[in-house]
Amino acid sequence: MSEKLRVTNLVKTFGTNNVLKGINLTVNENEVVVIIGPSGSGKSTLLRALNRLEEPTSGSIVIDNVDIASKGVDIDTVRENIGMVFQHFNLFSNLSVGENIMLAPVELKKETKEQASAQAKKLLKTVGLEEKFDATVQSLSGGQQQRVAIARALAMNPDIMLFDEPTSALDPEMVGDVLAVMKDLAKKGMTMIVVTHEMGFAKEVADRVVFVDDGQILEQGTPDQMFEHPKNERLQDFLNKILNV
Amino acid sequence: MKQKIFKSLGWVALLVGLLFCLVQSTVTAQAKTYQIGTDVTYPPFEFANKQNKYVGIDIDIMNAVAKEEGFKVNIKPVGFNAAVQSVQSGQLDGVIAGMTITPERKAKFDFGTPYYKTGVVMAVGKNSDIKSFKQLKGKRVALKTGTAAADYANSIKKKYGFKTVTFDDSNNMYEDVTTGNSVACFEDQPVMQYGIKQGLKLKIVSSPANTGWYGFAVKKGQNTELRKKFNQGLKKIQANGTYDKIVGKYLGNKTNPKVKGKTFTIGTDVTFPPFEFANKHNKYVGIDMDLIRAIANEQGFKVKIKPVGFNAAVQAVESGQLDGVISGMSITNERKAKFDFSQPYFMSGVVMAVGKNSKITKLSQLKGKRVAIKTGTSAADYANSIKKKYGFHTVTFDDSNNMYQDVTTGNSVACFEDHPVMKYAIKQGTKLKIVTKPAESAPYGFAVKKGHNQALLAAFNTGLKDLKASGTYDKIKAKYLGTDDNGSVAKTAADDAGSRSFFGLIKQNQGALLSGLSETMWLTVVSIFFATIFGVIVGLLGVVPSKFSNGVSSTLIYIFRGMPLLVLALFIYTGIPSLTGTKIPAFIAGVVTLTFNEGAYIAAFVKGGIEAVDPGQMEAARSLGLPFGKSMRRVILPQGIRIMIPSFINQFIITLKDTSILSIIGLLELTQTGKIIIARNLEGFKVWTIVAVMYLIIITLLTWLSNWVQRRTKV
Repeated sequence: MSEKLRVTNLVKTFGTNNVLKGINLTVNENEVVVIIGPSGSGKSTLLRALNRLEEPTSGSIVIDNVDIASKGVDIDTVRENIGMVFQHFNLFSNLSVGENIMLAPVELKKETKEQASAQAKKLLKTVGLEEKFDATVQSLSGGQQQRVAIARALAMNPDIMLFDEPTSALDPEMVGDVLAVMKDLAKKGMTMIVVTHEMGFAKEVADRVVFVDDGQILEQGTPDQMFEHPKNERLQDFLNKILNV
Repeated sequence: MKQKIFKSLGWVALLVGLLFCLVQSTVTAQAKTYQIGTDVTYPPFEFANKQNKYVGIDIDIMNAVAKEEGFKVNIKPVGFNAAVQSVQSGQLDGVIAGMTITPERKAKFDFGTPYYKTGVVMAVGKNSDIKSFKQLKGKRVALKTGTAAADYANSIKKKYGFKTVTFDDSNNMYEDVTTGNSVACFEDQPVMQYGIKQGLKLKIVSSPANTGWYGFAVKKGQNTELRKKFNQGLKKIQANGTYDKIVGKYLGNKTNPKVKGKTFTIGTDVTFPPFEFANKHNKYVGIDMDLIRAIANEQGFKVKIKPVGFNAAVQAVESGQLDGVISGMSITNERKAKFDFSQPYFMSGVVMAVGKNSKITKLSQLKGKRVAIKTGTSAADYANSIKKKYGFHTVTFDDSNNMYQDVTTGNSVACFEDHPVMKYAIKQGTKLKIVTKPAESAPYGFAVKKGHNQALLAAFNTGLKDLKASGTYDKIKAKYLGTDDNGSVAKTAADDAGSRSFFGLIKQNQGALLSGLSETMWLTVVSIFFATIFGVIVGLLGVVPSKFSNGVSSTLIYIFRGMPLLVLALFIYTGIPSLTGTKIPAFIAGVVTLTFNEGAYIAAFVKGGIEAVDPGQMEAARSLGLPFGKSMRRVILPQGIRIMIPSFINQFIITLKDTSILSIIGLLELTQTGKIIIARNLEGFKVWTIVAVMYLIIITLLTWLSNWVQRRTKV
């Protein structure tokens, strides 16, 4: 179990508002870490800071022994290695499904169109949408769009996948399909960091669950420890609220 | 005894001489010497110069003709009457002595081709305000005995009720006027002109009357060969310019070496008839135009007339874009601070005009009413100066026609205008009437930038003096204003009734309108091209992740969107050259103006269009590792442009319309063309309708094209 990512003393402030108050977190290779916490707790900001979509105010983020938070790092190259899936999918609306997936490989890896489209089709097959290669983004349902978004992120062969509430914007009947794809990915040994409210997914798939509240990690552990024997009062509160709705 | 011997010796000598001549003439026919008689002293035609050599127009022409035709002449200044009689008696071969061709004389002489036109003119003291014969009533007039001028004066003496006093020679006659004993004198035009050129403190105030031609004469039926040679030679020297040189030498048509061959760009107004306006053939005519061209012609320089509008012309001269301005410009002290003025070339005065059926006749009736004035004119200054006293308020227009129309439509009750301009407009059919006498008389002057173009200014002054002396000045004035108050105006700009209908106007002005339209299209296309480039660049600067670039973008948009197009155009056209000293052609200034102004709007919506794209799109692209530029190009811009297209179409249409504002810097685009046509025919409603329809047609076509493009991009 080698270490893939180490976050040390990560602080993020927006003006006077301290969103992250010194986060320390280590993620090992092939590990699936699920971050939970109430809204506004800073979990999304933490996730987005990991590929510097949010610029950290201070602290370090070391991936494969490189501090990507330091100046002089070519963040674009770093990002090629970190896939990201957004709550609102963010598929490129001017491009078709196939083109969405092919854009980065063609632009960045200098793959030929043929290579890229073969790979895109393969990826679409793994997310169960091989027939949608030529479809427009607008013709897909939310669940389908999110699966395409996952395929798009995977097209760059990343080492780490970040998921930012990937099922929150979906109709309930779509959630299952997306989670299935994610489980499949976890099984294949992808290092994943997932911000989600899907406690079922966390219990079933996560190697570790991290509870973030008020910009801090208050507790972390295996799903069993976290859900069955929560120690922190706020975690207990949180779990009570979401499990007893 | 001694005397007798001398006498007889004299006769012998004469006989011998005559014999000798006879022999010579028969032996060497080719180099025959003709004996030509002339007057003793009739400047500038014949007179002895300081070296006691006979010179003058007659002498020089005769010599030039002889040289051209290869014969010899011996010119004898025997006096006019003696010369004429000697020719009649066959003692002399011909006479050239400022001899007017008359029917009586034709009975006894054969005349050659007339070589000089003359006429009788009236001259008054330099500062006299006598302008017409009417003003001579009860006054004393100086004449020279036995001249045609005296005959003429005597013939009109009764009619105009003046008294005469006669002198034996010209100088005394002149002096009688300069000292003020007499108020005027009558004299042959060239003689008077020459005298004034020599420094006489007189001025010619009437156009030549009793005009006639001077001719070279031989005895009837005799010396046919000499007459033919004279005619041939005259034709040759008139063709090769020698004739003009000779006349110029004595009457001041000398070209000015300082300005000779140079071309000066002269600014003028577009709509200030009768001083400047485009005629049917779209050529600029009018008092100012004819005057500057005549002066240029006389002084040997060339002018390029730029009818850019009064204010633009004045500013362009100030900024050095133009060399001079002649535009019915009143000489005022304020203007003198910035310009050097020529001698005044026209005296004007401000009059008030009201609608044809208006009951207003006095300034006092204006109380509480609205009065139309034209910006920057002395008439406007006058109106403003009396505004408080008479309690009226004013509304300002940029050109005369709009001002007139404001009165004819009844929006304003009156307007103030320079007298000649108003008079001309009314004669052309403007439904106004003049109700006041000219007030605030102001001299018009030609102006150059202070301290610059002094040679041009000097040439203008010399030329003006010469034109006044020769009567050309009066002719020009009469052409547009008539000879007196009741005189009819030359039909320079009037059109026949048929060409006043819509179709007539279109047909007549087809060329001008189409070339205006093409200028508008060019301006639009070129400006859109550059404005789009400028706008997209500035718009992108506004969205790149750099605070400095964002700031530059915002500032550029702020400045150029915040500045009225008109101000920007004037600033670029007249302001920049003042700062840098380099001229900017109007077309380029126009394109630059539109590029900045329309470009700023384009930048604003480019920026807005990009910002309207969901930020998640950029995040997704960046999270894949795509750099900012690639993300922009491949993801954001394609979506942003789709948002921007309706704004682009809108902006292109606005650009097309905004070109009309560039008429302010004198670009001859469609609007300016309309203004010019209206300045000529005063058919404001019809011409503006035509122009408006033309704009609508073009905008409709542009809209169709844009919609087609938009449909194509939506796929």
